[in-house]
Amino acid sequence: MDPAAAPGMMMTAMERPAPATADFEETVRQHWSGIFRFILASVRDRDAAGSLAQDCFFKAYRARDRFRGDCSLRAWLMQIAVNLVRDHARSRRLRFWRTARETAGEINVPGREASPEAQTLAKERLRAVWEASGRLPERQRTVFLLRFVEDMDLLEIAAATGLKEGTVKAHLFRALQTIREELRRPS
Amino acid sequence: MSQHLSSQQISMWMAGERTPEAELHVRECADCAAELDAFARDLALFRDAVRQWQVPQPVLRPARVWPMRLALTVATLLLVALIPVYRFAHPKAHPQLTAADAALLEQVDVEVSRAVPRPMEPLLELASAVGEPNNDARKDNHAATQHK
Repeated sequence: MDPAAAPGMMMTAMERPAPATADFEETVRQHWSGIFRFILASVRDRDAAGSLAQDCFFKAYRARDRFRGDCSLRAWLMQIAVNLVRDHARSRRLRFWRTARETAGEINVPGREASPEAQTLAKERLRAVWEASGRLPERQRTVFLLRFVEDMDLLEIAAATGLKEGTVKAHLFRALQTIREELRRPS
Repeated sequence: MSQHLSSQQISMWMAGERTPEAELHVRECADCAAELDAFARDLALFRDAVRQWQVPQPVLRPARVWPMRLALTVATLLLVALIPVYRFAHPKAHPQLTAADAALLEQVDVEVSRAVPRPMEPLLELASAVGEPNNDARKDNHAATQHK
């Protein structure tokens, strides 16, 4: 499937028009951080994430005339990103996991915990979520990241992943179960 | 619902599947509310940690592709424009020039095939002339031997 073949391309002319070429830079400015973050959290390789994020907006730019707005622009861009991440994971599966282990230490506790003890505890829990999310199957991880990092609602996630809302909920439930088990495991 | 929420119910709650019974229980049970709150805080911690990642500035590829295409087009046009210049700069050989070249090559062959360079030829002739009396003496000796 062409990653740029987002659902917006099949809509009627009655719906929201595509971002004009002149507005595309604004689109990039608005959505770049979210797309980059999602890709980096998925592939866990900064160089690859930068390249895939560029690819995402390049594909969106080329397909912008076919976007009709049946979903939000963010969901449409995220669908392209999800497909790129999927292709990347398929082609470099072994490297993906090796890199995931190598760069897992990049995640840091936001500096809001007051005491060193609280910092340590937060770090342990953060690492548990990070490692558990890295071990999730691809779809569960995608759904988890879109919901709990990008704050997308279930309908948006369904649009971005091409899954039904019930399937999204099921993947999210399984992902949360895995992460919760990891959090409850004594360190 | 008198029992605490199970692990599955807590995950379902966080996934957005909230039954009226579960909502009622959470309102009344401080332990389950705390459990849900702790899980939500862990997920928020994860979100904040990912969101604090340094994000590089985007570089739009279309802006890079077009100059590249333009450069390729200009290079192609330049090549096409230079072909006639190159052809005129290397005109076809004229027949008279070809004959002159052949004569020159023949002359070179002759020069190369000489035993000694042309300026040294008089010396060679002189050496031949000096060597002749020796030959006459040898002939005289031969004739005297025969006479005896």
